[in-house]
Amino acid sequence: MASLFSTLFAPPRRHHLDVIAGMWLPVIVVLFIILFFTFATDAFMTLRNLRAISGQASALLLACLGATFVVLMGSIDLSVGAIVLLVGAITVNAINALGLGVEALAVGILVGALLGTANGVIFAYGKIPSFVVTLGSLSIFTGAAWELLQGRAIRYDSSNFENLAIGQLIPFVQNIGLFAIGAWLVMVFVCFKTRFGRYMFIIGGGEAVARTTGIPVRRYKVTAFALSGMMAGLAGALAVARLGTAGPTLGQDLLLNSLAAIVVGGTSLSGGVGGVHRTLIGVLIIALLDNGLNLMGVNQYSQMMVKGAVVIAAVLVGQDRSKSVVMK
Amino acid sequence: MDNVPTAIREKRVWSGETRLAMNDSTPVLRVRNLTKRYGDNTVLDRVSIEVGRHEIVGIVGENGAGKTTLFNILSGVVEADSGQVELNGEEIDPGDYHSATLLGISRVFQEQALIPNIKVYENLLLSHEALFTRALQLIDSGKMIATAEAIVREGGLDIDVTRRTSDYSFSKRQLIEIARACLVPSMVLGIEHPVVLLDEPTAALEKSDEERFFDLMKRLKTRGSLVFVSHRLTEILEVCDTVYVLKDGKLVARLRAAEANERMLHGLMVGRERDADYYHEGEQRDVSDQAVVFQTEGLSSAGRYSNISLEVHAGEVLGIGGLLDSGKSEFGKGAAGIVAPDRGTVTLGAHPARRPEVRDLVGKGVGYVPAERLTEGMISPFPLAWNVTMASGGDIFANRLGIWRNQHEIDVAERSIELLNIKADNAKVPCERLSGGNQQKVVLARWLCRQLKVLILDNPTRGVDAGAKEEIYQLIRGLTADGVAVMLITDDLLELIGLSNRIAIMQHGRVTKMVPAAPDGKPSERQLIELMLSSDANGAGGRRPQATEYVEAVVA
Repeated sequence: MASLFSTLFAPPRRHHLDVIAGMWLPVIVVLFIILFFTFATDAFMTLRNLRAISGQASALLLACLGATFVVLMGSIDLSVGAIVLLVGAITVNAINALGLGVEALAVGILVGALLGTANGVIFAYGKIPSFVVTLGSLSIFTGAAWELLQGRAIRYDSSNFENLAIGQLIPFVQNIGLFAIGAWLVMVFVCFKTRFGRYMFIIGGGEAVARTTGIPVRRYKVTAFALSGMMAGLAGALAVARLGTAGPTLGQDLLLNSLAAIVVGGTSLSGGVGGVHRTLIGVLIIALLDNGLNLMGVNQYSQMMVKGAVVIAAVLVGQDRSKSVVMK
Repeated sequence: MDNVPTAIREKRVWSGETRLAMNDSTPVLRVRNLTKRYGDNTVLDRVSIEVGRHEIVGIVGENGAGKTTLFNILSGVVEADSGQVELNGEEIDPGDYHSATLLGISRVFQEQALIPNIKVYENLLLSHEALFTRALQLIDSGKMIATAEAIVREGGLDIDVTRRTSDYSFSKRQLIEIARACLVPSMVLGIEHPVVLLDEPTAALEKSDEERFFDLMKRLKTRGSLVFVSHRLTEILEVCDTVYVLKDGKLVARLRAAEANERMLHGLMVGRERDADYYHEGEQRDVSDQAVVFQTEGLSSAGRYSNISLEVHAGEVLGIGGLLDSGKSEFGKGAAGIVAPDRGTVTLGAHPARRPEVRDLVGKGVGYVPAERLTEGMISPFPLAWNVTMASGGDIFANRLGIWRNQHEIDVAERSIELLNIKADNAKVPCERLSGGNQQKVVLARWLCRQLKVLILDNPTRGVDAGAKEEIYQLIRGLTADGVAVMLITDDLLELIGLSNRIAIMQHGRVTKMVPAAPDGKPSERQLIELMLSSDANGAGGRRPQATEYVEAVVA
């Protein structure tokens, strides 16, 4: 990766210290968390647990990658978890009704992309704030999924589909991990080596400027939401493959976790600052915390408190707010 | 109140007469040798003014003469490099706007500062709520309303203070804001003799409210002193006692308004030698035989500009001048397709006439440089290279698959740095580290890396130092030599005259006069200003035609 990164422009930063805080602090935090849990619990540094972590982290990473672009362009996608849930429900039903196997993955990706496009079109052409649009669609998608599931967890029977996630193409590594890392690499490339990625930075950094240069802002906004939906769709389908079932709680904790991972990684909610590469770090922090605190026997409620504090602390330490006059 | 000495009680409810008797000869505000520089650009050069008690002082000057900077310093928004400000004989140094207000200097900004969705009385007493509290810090709205009513009564305004601010027209809100700035210091804060700075207060006023405004000014004069900036010289002469003229950051004259006239003020504001070399006038060519490459037809946008038809020849600089409310900038945005006009078309070379649309026009070789560099022109935290390539992601810096050509981008940006003499360490520095002139060169480089046919410039040298200005002028000449058609919208009269082949004068959204400006027949600044102000240039008039006039025209 070194060669790719060295050709990137350094993300705009003012002071040397900020660069350290922005780029390296999250990495240091990850290492600290790993060390802490290694000594605090016996079960943390075990092959079995590492596999569990990589499974959880992979699902989260897949779900966040697309949404990072949305945040990068200064908008927000609250519906990621709901898309995972609805895509999961549709995928399971498609497998059972049509006898699909591996093809169901394509169904998931396609449905996710469609749901994301719907978000994007309403946002960009209806001129409704993305927060409102995706808050609404979050409820619509969740309702639709529960309608499909009728409150039950639905199982399916296709070992081919299951193997997409839990098979091991490479020994000791679940396939879902390969998907996640592969998708991350592709998205980092998209972020820094393509027109789409550049335009995400530009729209997030100054939409009015983008307009005067003739960038088709609305079209790119729709594309970003479509990509966010597509990646959530992929995450949803693979989550079903990993768990062997789609239940009403699928994707439930993604609403907080996806945004937390993006922001903790260092992509600013105000847009134009950050990048997809950082989301990997954010995901690791969230997934490691979840897992480690579980192993330590910290209860669910305290875990939520810790996670919330980490999100706030990450923004407090990591972002350059010297020029922010108004905070909303 | 019974045990309060009478003298103090009288101070609280003082009348204009008792005030007038006190220390009438010493100036309330005295400014000495105020100087402010931004980089190499001296925007205020040893300016000294005095404001007497119960005096209205007018300050006039062209855009960039330093009026707003002077106000910024007096109201604590900006700090002077050197010089003193004395209020009532004591030197003050207000670190921020709030401190200046408490000292007795308040200001009405060019942009309205009222919050629209709260009640009028809440706006009038905004930030002084602490003076209207009861036990437990609860706000005593009854008392606030009573005070606010006293303020509007004193100001002679017919306004219900309990209504929402947004219920009133923009013009009425302007009056409310002026009343707030002028009356709150004396009626609420107990400041004896406030100084109020008014920055273009009448620009937003409707005709019917202007009378109210003058009445308000006269009432306010009994309570304090006013400093008044306006482009409308007749107003200045009508209202003010003393007028100061600023030019290029220097004070050039102090006049008794009673002894001055409009023509005299114009002469002082613009009287300056134009250096033909600075504008490379020798390089201006006759382009009347060249093809028309850009043409607008009947371009109209409701409330901004109407029915504008202009053509620009290859290699020509078409200047567009007019006052701030002439709609020239809005027209520029319309012609470039940034803000779509309601009606009208643009024609580019042999392409068919179309409603202007920015993407379409950029693709065909039209570039646009907005006046607001930091909000519309560039994303200043982003690297120089990103800002250069911003307009060309569609065809030059990304391939068919949408893969960005990072190396090409760096190459082009580095070449731009070299060719335009941009002072930057490398192509990756954030633009916010560059000076205004170098930033503007980056914005221009964005269009130079394309096959440019037309360049629309809105105040291309605003906030740019003299050296970089000349480089930009040279660049514009270079472009026209290559056959690029340039539309130059600018408030800088010398630049307008020096660079343009022809000058279109706009008034109230219409082109009222086309002035030829060949190198040997350049119009003077005074001529242009008179055309911009005159009410009967070309018959169309500085006022909007009445419906009956249209009917008559049709009948005729």
